[in-house]
Amino acid sequence: MFRTVLIANRGEIARRIAGTLRVMGIRSVAVFSEADRGALHTRAADDALPIGAPEPGASYLRAEALLEAARRAGADAIHPGYGFLAENAAFAAAVEAAGLTFIGPTPEQVRTLGDKRSARALAERAGVPVVPGAEGADPAALQRAAKSLGLPVIVKAAFGGGGKGMQVVEREEDLGAALDSARRLAVSAFGDATLYLEKRLERARHVEVQIFGDGRGGAIHLFERDCTLQRRHQKVVEESPSPVLDERRRRALTDAAVALAREARYRGAGTAEFLLAPDGRFYFLEINTRLQVEHPVTEAVTGLDLVRLQLEVAAGGALPLRQEDVVRRGHAIEARLYAEDAAHGFLPQAGRAERVRWPSAPFVRVDAGIESGDAVPVHYDPILAKVIASGADRTAAIERLAAALDDTLVHGVITNLPFLRALARSREVAEGRFDTEWVEREFLAGFSALAMAPAPELALAAAALAERLLVAPGGTGRTGAEAVPDPFTTLGRWRLPGLG
Amino acid sequence: MRSAWRDGERVRTVEIEPLAAGRYRVVVDGVPLELAVETLADGRLRLEGADGVTVAEVTAAGERRFVRLGRLDFVLRREDAARRGGAASQAGGLEAPMPGLVTRVLVVAGDAVRKGQPLVAIEAMKMEHLVRAPRAGRVKSVVARLGEMVDGGVQVVELDGEA
Repeated sequence: MFRTVLIANRGEIARRIAGTLRVMGIRSVAVFSEADRGALHTRAADDALPIGAPEPGASYLRAEALLEAARRAGADAIHPGYGFLAENAAFAAAVEAAGLTFIGPTPEQVRTLGDKRSARALAERAGVPVVPGAEGADPAALQRAAKSLGLPVIVKAAFGGGGKGMQVVEREEDLGAALDSARRLAVSAFGDATLYLEKRLERARHVEVQIFGDGRGGAIHLFERDCTLQRRHQKVVEESPSPVLDERRRRALTDAAVALAREARYRGAGTAEFLLAPDGRFYFLEINTRLQVEHPVTEAVTGLDLVRLQLEVAAGGALPLRQEDVVRRGHAIEARLYAEDAAHGFLPQAGRAERVRWPSAPFVRVDAGIESGDAVPVHYDPILAKVIASGADRTAAIERLAAALDDTLVHGVITNLPFLRALARSREVAEGRFDTEWVEREFLAGFSALAMAPAPELALAAAALAERLLVAPGGTGRTGAEAVPDPFTTLGRWRLPGLG
Repeated sequence: MRSAWRDGERVRTVEIEPLAAGRYRVVVDGVPLELAVETLADGRLRLEGADGVTVAEVTAAGERRFVRLGRLDFVLRREDAARRGGAASQAGGLEAPMPGLVTRVLVVAGDAVRKGQPLVAIEAMKMEHLVRAPRAGRVKSVVARLGEMVDGGVQVVELDGEA
């Protein structure tokens, strides 16, 4: 097993990886940009090294800086987490060239599966159905392809996973502008202008299968996750098992995922994503060659530590367990907490999370990247934490999630908590009746009305009274006319503007 | 003591009048509340009124106040301070909606623009947002510079009244 692992990431996922390394007695080394000095993920690791300026291109995306940090730390392996360089084949190759282990698939697999064309060819070889689509960088050819697929189509960057920059084009006259802005985002986010077009299936669900391969043709699955609750192609709430799969369909889906992993001779953790049409047919979308944001729901229903499995496969070249050892039990559901203002178009927020309190209850797990007083920098993905609840059945898990979200407090930075709370208590979620467009098509209108309602009088009274009664540390200004006798009760919580 | 607060699209007023020790008459938009107030540990307030007891947690962040009442959260903003800020509130839709990087500047001073025309693109956390002209007019000056980091609420373009 490895002695020292460098975690080439930040935030909640870097901290989560450090947690498993600690359990396994492996030394963890975090990295941080200038914007993340003192961040929670650096405090969670045994050591932390600076890698550059706040802009991702100058730090978390800079392969030389990460390799130099790994050399200085004496690391023998690098865990990329998700995002940043996790699906960058050149980085995976550079890690191996430096004599270190890349905790993930081979560079060739990252390249092949990151390219939609070769991933689709793989699916066809494995006998797995794919969504009709086309790929290219030439705008005129893409225009023609879109027309022959038939609108609506989805436009996205061919390289790079997730839904960032993904757009749905309904009308022919919008196609040019959509291709143009998708190309710009593809270049800035992934450094490649190649775009991918896909026929949009209406009222579909997003169901994915967690796979693990040994790199020699052996593969197992850890069942599915249903990630249908999305907003603008970004997953918001994920659960396992899917509420709509019966055992026969689950079997067909997991068999397809394992067939893909075997065909690719896949190494390590991956996720095979599928669209599930209302008629029960499924179509392969892509394989994400990394740990997913939503992996904790799989951990909750299987009792397996996915980061540990990644480390074991990377170190030993073999799967530490057989398919029949993977047993699913109960239900788990996760909500992603983002620094986004849900009441105002989900605009990303930044600042300082002055006061943070995470829920603590049986069957509730929180993977958080911040604590009270931590900065939320403007430069990175706005994910702050994931709240995961589990139970013997789906209803119990959802009830626990709703209660846990109620008990979550983040003050200082606006978050999507009100949105998550409303979602967790909605009837459609309780009944499992939704598709990938449901949040935007139906849920958001009702939520916006709720979010626009005036605050109760008591909330305003509390704000004004706090101004008068609570004293700012070191402050003599307009607040604190009737200062509380004990300054320690408020110290560090109440700041004057500009001092925080 | 009178204060004004921004609550979403509304501006609301609060008037506080001390009564006996620890008791206040608080008038919110003309609605009077009588409250017995006690400060608890960690900056929390125990508010006892006609409807019972509520514990409020108020956190200051710049001009914003995050208020939790029971299981609900509200975000208010000191309105008097926002007015003092000047540029932001008078910019009328010409401010950066979020902190971010100026990735495109699409107009120069002197340009005539129509309502809805994109003026400046700001990117944050992998999201691009266009600042659009809230009305027709002529660009008086472009405050934002290409490649610059701007704060949320900062004016990026100045527009003349009528074109």
